[in-house]
Amino acid sequence: MGVEFEPRIIAFMCNWCTYAAADTAGVSRMQQSLNVLPIRVMCSGRVSPEMVLRAFRAGADGVLVMGCHIGDCHYSNGNHRTIKRMPLLRNLLGYTGINPERLELQWVSGAEAPRFVEVTEAFIAKIRQLGPLSQEVME
Amino acid sequence: MSGNASEGTLEEIRKLVAERLALPVQAGMGVDGVVALRALNGNVAPHVFQKGDDLSELVIEPKYPLMTLVSKLHKRFPQIRLGVVARGCDERAYIEMAKRNQIDPARLTIIGFACTAEEAQACHCLEPYPKQLLVGAPPAPGQVNPLVAEYDAMTLVERRAFWRKQFEKCIKCYGCRNICPECFCEACAMEDKAWVEPGLLAPPFPMFHLIRAMHMASRCVACRECEAACPAHIPLTVLYDLLRRDMESLLGYLPGADMDAKPPLSVTLEETPLRTEAGH
Amino acid sequence: MDYKNTLTTCVYCGAGCQIYVETIDGQITGVWPAKTHIISEGKLCIKGWNVTEFVNSPDRLKTPLIRKEGQFVEASWDEALELIASKLGAIKNESGPDSIGWLASAKCTNEENYLMNKLARAVIGTNNIDHCARL
Repeated sequence: MGVEFEPRIIAFMCNWCTYAAADTAGVSRMQQSLNVLPIRVMCSGRVSPEMVLRAFRAGADGVLVMGCHIGDCHYSNGNHRTIKRMPLLRNLLGYTGINPERLELQWVSGAEAPRFVEVTEAFIAKIRQLGPLSQEVME
Repeated sequence: MSGNASEGTLEEIRKLVAERLALPVQAGMGVDGVVALRALNGNVAPHVFQKGDDLSELVIEPKYPLMTLVSKLHKRFPQIRLGVVARGCDERAYIEMAKRNQIDPARLTIIGFACTAEEAQACHCLEPYPKQLLVGAPPAPGQVNPLVAEYDAMTLVERRAFWRKQFEKCIKCYGCRNICPECFCEACAMEDKAWVEPGLLAPPFPMFHLIRAMHMASRCVACRECEAACPAHIPLTVLYDLLRRDMESLLGYLPGADMDAKPPLSVTLEETPLRTEAGH
Repeated sequence: MDYKNTLTTCVYCGAGCQIYVETIDGQITGVWPAKTHIISEGKLCIKGWNVTEFVNSPDRLKTPLIRKEGQFVEASWDEALELIASKLGAIKNESGPDSIGWLASAKCTNEENYLMNKLARAVIGTNNIDHCARL
């Protein structure tokens, strides 16, 4: 067997909630894997399908979209669009033969640093099991 | 696509168009022109019939997405009043465009007619007639495309292989985007080099097609014009039909069905709630 | 309002797809593919869809241009043709007819390409003539 596969994950994080949680997790020196590349956006509603698809095209094995819980959005209802958009995009990936599990939507509030770690670690483990994206999209 | 439109249907439509053109515009009932198809020297193209035009040139096939022309004229001439000879798909396209301020319902009169059973089948159309039906009786609906009906049974590997083969044929002519009545964005994501790399035909991760499918999710009215315009015969609407199904089950929305239903992806959960929790 | 769809042939290649050039009050406003055409069947390639783009392009020349001291300067047709004829003649005398290459085009009519052939073969005396698509 060759080099063990290390998943490359891109995580879109909203500035007000999830990014704050990620910051807290880092400052508190919580144990975390190194597989996640964070991209800070002002609101999870900013994350367009194009951005998620570009992340996959660029080589991400998994994409996480994270933001405030419904009702807590800093812009009041930006995340309403996210919660409707992401299930459709997951389904679309499935229809084209890419495992829909590679895209996940999670709400993580600013106070939930441990949950941030939990969610990201679980996702990394899942993607490690699924294997690299290139297996499904042979270049 | 050839239907078996009876001469009677065509005569009735021409009569209704003539009547509409004869009404005075000032009275609020008349129109400046009627958008329909015109046959000239054996070829057919969209046309705006105006008072005095020879209506024996008006035909109803092969179909074109006439609402695109209506929208263009409504935007170019803010006072123009139009009629349009419309099939079911034309009316659905109109409903989605009107919601997005591309067509002004107050300045459009629909002269609706039913497709034939053969046309319905060729388009796999479930509602081959407009709500504002003036000519012809609703035929039997077309059967769902077997590929769509049996899609859930396909494994991920099979689906991948299928679309890989299909998208390899794509020559990026943008015909699907150009002919689509719902594609009116002046700044199109498909022309943004951040998303769709110029100089590269469909890569194995087909950005162009995936983005288009997502954009079509709340807009596609299953008129099948994109498939008719594709020189590579890619069955695009298989993907769009699957997403239409999801729009209905997840958000209770069917494009073209209801003028008062708001496009769910743009509005809040209070206006269009999710029916099931985040996807499977 | 004058709405017209003019049936024409795409100029970009030899397939000859039929398109309708849409004009409203004399202005080009778009393109429709001709669904009734037995060859193109209502489909177009990206060039066909954008075939009207060059018609009103600001890049189109309105007069001949001659380079004088490194700059393009407007000239008359007489001046331009005189210059071309004298220069080509000089080159032919100096380096022989085969030193001049000719590139014809799918955008021209068959008749124009025929004239190009005559000019190259009969007037200059070379068969070094080819087609822009082979560039």
